[in-house]
Amino acid sequence: MRVSDYEPIVGRSAIEELRLLAAKLSGKVIQMINSTFVGGGVAEILSRMIPLLGQLGVDARWNVIKGNEEFFQVTKKFHNALHGRQETVTEKDFAVFLETTQKNIEEMELYGDILFVHDPQPVGLIASRSSVIASRRRSNPQKWLWRCHIDLSHPNEEVWNFLQPFVVQYDASVFSAPAFSRELPMRQFLISPSIDPLSDKNKELPQQTIDSVLTKYTIPKDKPIITQVSRFDYLKDPVGVIQAFELVRKSIDCRLVFAGGTASDDPESDKVLAEVRQRAGNNPDIHILLIPPGSDIEINALQRASSVIVQKSHREGFGLTVTEALWKAKPVVASAVGGIPLQVKNRFTGLLSYGIEGTAYAIRQLLTNPQYASRLGENGREHVRYNFLITRHLRDYLLLFLALEHPEDIIRL
Amino acid sequence: MIEWLADNWFKIVIPVLVFLASYVVGLWLRRVVGNLLERWTAKTRWEGSQIVARTARRPFLLWFLLLGICIAIQVSVLPPEVKSMTVKATGSLFVLSFGWVVIVLSRELLTLNLFQGRMKGANKPSIALAINLIRVTVIVIGVLIVLDIWGLPISPLLLLIGVAVLVAALAFRDAAPNFFAGFRLGTTQQIKVGDYIKVETGEEGYVTEISWSNTHIKALDESTILIPNSRLLRGTVINYGRPLKKAKEPFRFVSRTDLTELTGLKARNLRELVEVLKTAPDAVVYYHTHHFLEQHHYLTPEPSNDFAIWVGDALGDEVLGERLASVDTFGFPNLGTLRERLVAIIEEYLSSGSNFREAMPGREFHFMKSVSVILPTPYVAHDLREFVEALRKISLGSFYFHVFESRLRLGRGLNDFSIWLQDSSGESELGEEIARLDPYTYTLEGLRSALIQLIEKRIK
Repeated sequence: MRVSDYEPIVGRSAIEELRLLAAKLSGKVIQMINSTFVGGGVAEILSRMIPLLGQLGVDARWNVIKGNEEFFQVTKKFHNALHGRQETVTEKDFAVFLETTQKNIEEMELYGDILFVHDPQPVGLIASRSSVIASRRRSNPQKWLWRCHIDLSHPNEEVWNFLQPFVVQYDASVFSAPAFSRELPMRQFLISPSIDPLSDKNKELPQQTIDSVLTKYTIPKDKPIITQVSRFDYLKDPVGVIQAFELVRKSIDCRLVFAGGTASDDPESDKVLAEVRQRAGNNPDIHILLIPPGSDIEINALQRASSVIVQKSHREGFGLTVTEALWKAKPVVASAVGGIPLQVKNRFTGLLSYGIEGTAYAIRQLLTNPQYASRLGENGREHVRYNFLITRHLRDYLLLFLALEHPEDIIRL
Repeated sequence: MIEWLADNWFKIVIPVLVFLASYVVGLWLRRVVGNLLERWTAKTRWEGSQIVARTARRPFLLWFLLLGICIAIQVSVLPPEVKSMTVKATGSLFVLSFGWVVIVLSRELLTLNLFQGRMKGANKPSIALAINLIRVTVIVIGVLIVLDIWGLPISPLLLLIGVAVLVAALAFRDAAPNFFAGFRLGTTQQIKVGDYIKVETGEEGYVTEISWSNTHIKALDESTILIPNSRLLRGTVINYGRPLKKAKEPFRFVSRTDLTELTGLKARNLRELVEVLKTAPDAVVYYHTHHFLEQHHYLTPEPSNDFAIWVGDALGDEVLGERLASVDTFGFPNLGTLRERLVAIIEEYLSSGSNFREAMPGREFHFMKSVSVILPTPYVAHDLREFVEALRKISLGSFYFHVFESRLRLGRGLNDFSIWLQDSSGESELGEEIARLDPYTYTLEGLRSALIQLIEKRIK
């Protein structure tokens, strides 16, 4: 993709602004560091952003840390523990983490003027800071940023206490939602994640493609479709979604599509899928779809074919499936958890709900008032256009790099 | 000798008489024609008539002298070779003098056209090129005729000229349409130097020069754009006419974008909310009373401040929510007084013992602050026309900064546009009219349209 490809979507001035900001970073080298080039949301967004930053004239480079399988099993545990899941973390796990971190410090070249470290896996690289400065005798000390894509609101204290000494050495940290952050002794910025409007998951689709996906999954177009897209996980409350649908179904003829996948690292997901299937029973209006990874066009088509999109999660990260639905101008009913309240401003860009009955009530409101639903959908699309597209994400990163040199609240460039 | 003169006196007198008669007839005809031309110039309003009259009168006598010499020699007893030579010589002189008249006439008429339109420099190169072209053409034709008169072969020269014309035509095939278009622009006066034009392809600005190939315009970013003349004739061009009164100081548009910084402070209930609000930096108050304007600028009506929404949604207190939402931000000159008002409303409410609810876990109020980054833009306005055209083009961030942020956050008391209109443009009334608009009741695009309408009305 080229930066100019986004101009018809976000407008010329937004692209001009990116160029202006990028010009101010001339001569700086931004070194992005994470744990993998492929797989996962961070790698996906970096693989899109690095080329775009390059087109804007920013010297942004991307490196990954090295680690064996044992290390990545430990970091997976850390990830889950920081998200608040029950995990048993041992002293050996901590030792593996420290050992791999030290190895990376010795082997990696940390050359950037700004080192942008993503997530907990490479967080320990900051320990090299003093030695790097000493060895290079830089006139301008390197700036270190930690980008946390995880919800740290309820972390496993043991893991957090282990990682915190690394985190506090950074010059600034970045979180995706206010609720995900913690009190830390450095500047903390809020930068929401984003979606790419030109990706397979979000680009415009011809009606023919949408119809063919519905045909593939034997979903007739005879009734309004209510859809939730999420993996089979108790935190996404799939059974609650079915219950809400059944309440709606009492007065309005409609269908439910629950489209998701199972996660290989989540042994519970198969169990959840089985429970959901059992709860759906033989109801011909409930379609439980197990979608293989990478089926972006199919997810896109299912969202576009829907009348209402639901995200009835108990816990949520930022909730990019909500962003995707809003971008498609679909009316959304979602729980007020994680990053969802940043996206769904109740009664303006969608409806927030707190329980099964509330979700059912909101869905009924939308199905019986298509004009209202359409207005919310359009507002939601505009909200995403200005706040949650990759161009805004790029702008925020550029501003972040510039803000590192300016502690003041009003910066004149 | 005397004897010869006595025998042939008439052979000398007759040619001399013929020559004198031609001179007298020439003088008489010059007067007659001169009078006719004078009457014509008096009747016609065309300024060029005087040039035609003056230029035509000047060589009249010379032509009759040449005619007289030619006839006198013909009636003389000089040898046929001399007579033939005389015809050729007088004919050549006539051709050259006639060519000179054509050159002078064309130069003066074209120069008149240049200044008649008060174009001062406009189209000058185009006119100069036309004069030179006519001059060369006349000289070439004159030389060819003279060569023909003297019986010299002109075919090789014609061939050479043909080749030169072909080469020139090939070399200038792209420039020719622009040259003729430039000439037409100059003669029709459709576009003049000093006009503000807008081309359908997006270029716009004041015309600074019309050359033989391009029209130069000064764009809103003070760059110079060259537009091929032929494009101006082919496409749609809006011409807003002459420049308006220049401001004492130009208005330089800046843009603004922002980053959100987390303070780590949060509130679960009204008491905590008000305590943090009392001491939070101005950037926090600004963020929570303004970020909706940018983030949701497309909504009508726009949502109110964050405090009101949180109190209504998270604490379920719609009464206080409404009270906080109804705070008229436009009525406060700075963030300090706005903060005092918000604190006073909450404290008054708390003193009545009305609300001790706690927000559910996860629905706490997170205090954030806005880090504004102000950037220069290329847009500069020297008068109302440039100002309104720039207003259409600037980003919403730029518009937002000049209307909201500079007034309240930078404490200027008025929006930047009104300040410039009043202080630099001498448009106090318009400035006041814009200052009276409550920007918080519009969407950003709606407000931009309202301002553009007001300025357009003033320009008309």
